[in-house]
Amino acid sequence: MVKLKFYGIGGQGAVTAAKVLSEAVSLFEGRYAITVPAYGHERRGAPVFAHIIVDDEPVLLNCYVYDPDIVVVMDEGIIDKKVDVTEGCTGSTVLVLNSGSEDYVSRYRQLGAFGDIYVCDATAAAERNMGLSIPNSAMLGALAKTGLVSIEAVEKAVADSFGKVGEVNVNAARDAYEHTRKA
Amino acid sequence: MPFRMFDGNGAAVEAIRMARPGVIAAYPITPQSSIAEKLSDCVANGQIDAEYIRVESEHSAMSVCVGACLTGVRVATATSSVGLALMHEVCGVTSGCRLPVVMPVVNRSLVAPWSLWCDHQDTMAERDTGWLQFYCGTVQEVLDLTLCAYRISEHQDVLTPSMVCLDGFFLSHSMQKVSAPTDEEAWDFVGPYVRRNMYIDPTDVMFVNDLCPTSEYTEMRYQQKVGFERAADVAREVFDEYGRRFGRRPCTVEKYLLDDADIALVTMGSMSGTAKFAVNELRRQGVKAGLLRICMFRPFPAGEIREALKNVPVVGVVDRSAGLGAAQPPAATEVSAALRGAGCRVFSFVGGLAGRDISDGAFKGLYSELLDVFEGQAQSVNTWFDLKGDPMALREVDIIC
Repeated sequence: MVKLKFYGIGGQGAVTAAKVLSEAVSLFEGRYAITVPAYGHERRGAPVFAHIIVDDEPVLLNCYVYDPDIVVVMDEGIIDKKVDVTEGCTGSTVLVLNSGSEDYVSRYRQLGAFGDIYVCDATAAAERNMGLSIPNSAMLGALAKTGLVSIEAVEKAVADSFGKVGEVNVNAARDAYEHTRKA
Repeated sequence: MPFRMFDGNGAAVEAIRMARPGVIAAYPITPQSSIAEKLSDCVANGQIDAEYIRVESEHSAMSVCVGACLTGVRVATATSSVGLALMHEVCGVTSGCRLPVVMPVVNRSLVAPWSLWCDHQDTMAERDTGWLQFYCGTVQEVLDLTLCAYRISEHQDVLTPSMVCLDGFFLSHSMQKVSAPTDEEAWDFVGPYVRRNMYIDPTDVMFVNDLCPTSEYTEMRYQQKVGFERAADVAREVFDEYGRRFGRRPCTVEKYLLDDADIALVTMGSMSGTAKFAVNELRRQGVKAGLLRICMFRPFPAGEIREALKNVPVVGVVDRSAGLGAAQPPAATEVSAALRGAGCRVFSFVGGLAGRDISDGAFKGLYSELLDVFEGQAQSVNTWFDLKGDPMALREVDIIC
């Protein structure tokens, strides 16, 4: 069982990304997943969370994730908005960070909560491939680099989920996957 | 049967689409909105051949459903929370006119304080409105129970509407893997709507729901009571048939590791999987914990619940409702009544209000309290188990007006 927590800003598609990840592992890898989005007073610009549990067996848990194995941060600036991305982290929790800034990467490292840190400028990948700064598909590409899910399964789920704009989203995911590095 | 991905609202729409309603009237309300929206999409793109009647409120939505259903057509609507509360009057008309409407209700708190999030206070407030009530545990069950509800409600011995209750966000917005029948398989199971007994011929209209004299009202209610009694048997027959056709048998109650249990919790809805997870962990530690999930709340399966729990010494019932002013909140009241004289000690837990998460850790805490009672370490439990801090100090003001 792998527990993930997605942190994003309203409008970035964090909840959608969680649902697409759920589809990637469920339909294209024969595993199971459950997503529990923590909706708030939705508006663009507000912090948004989603909780996902992935397992080889049907997932019994239908509650929030309190001790994440993987944290996905879709907006590096979220730590400046009084959001504690280290909540429940163990020190070996894997971080997947959307950032193009070494300063931010070192700030996240200094939090002391994370083991491996994977970094990708997913917003830039989204802009390159889609002309839009919505990083959700690109971040799923970055997440695939951790080995949680294959990039092929991500691509299939993204194509299936985004309809007419599926292809450009797939390109963003692949681009981000190839540009993700271990910090 | 191939797997597909649905959130709870999507599964409800899929089941409704498969049942081919002829008239739809739904008013959007969080967290039900995507049901109203997707049904509208289905009508617009031809996936459902129905008339979608736009309404200005839930009261009107159910009124449209009543009128349309009386002409002999399957109808569809869905609601949540204060929308259901506004519908309350017409819900009674629906059941009293014996109209077998099937309605997904996305569970959300009642106000005030204002809230968008999950608990069961909205549907529990309707538990005596004359509707059948099913509480889904997973997104798969949203699909399965909605399809079954048409067969149960529309059965000529039942003719009683159904609420298919799904927890707001924990199910309505949770994306899960679902095994779905094909359109043909589903239609072969649900079948076309057949009007019975009372109906309106639009070319020769009559007055329905006129003033009923005291000399007949009691008998009309008694007919509904008989409908409920039959509903319990019909539900089991329909669940059996669904199981034979599709390999998954929905249940009225689900028993989980109860046979040798010293302690057990009774749960409803999406919390139940988390509770099972906690039971599995406790069993690994040698604690004889069990679980009973109530799936069908109306008609209340008192006999099955008594049979399942009668040998469990200590039972806790988790209500996602406050049950203000009652001897116990709704589920605990009914379970206690079902177990009267059985020798079990029954305790009430209240929590998970307004979307407050009930974690596996929280469930382990509840089992720990029951274990203390079982072992004689405690006489009672903390009923409001997830209170934070000093609740009486919250938003306290000391301004003298």
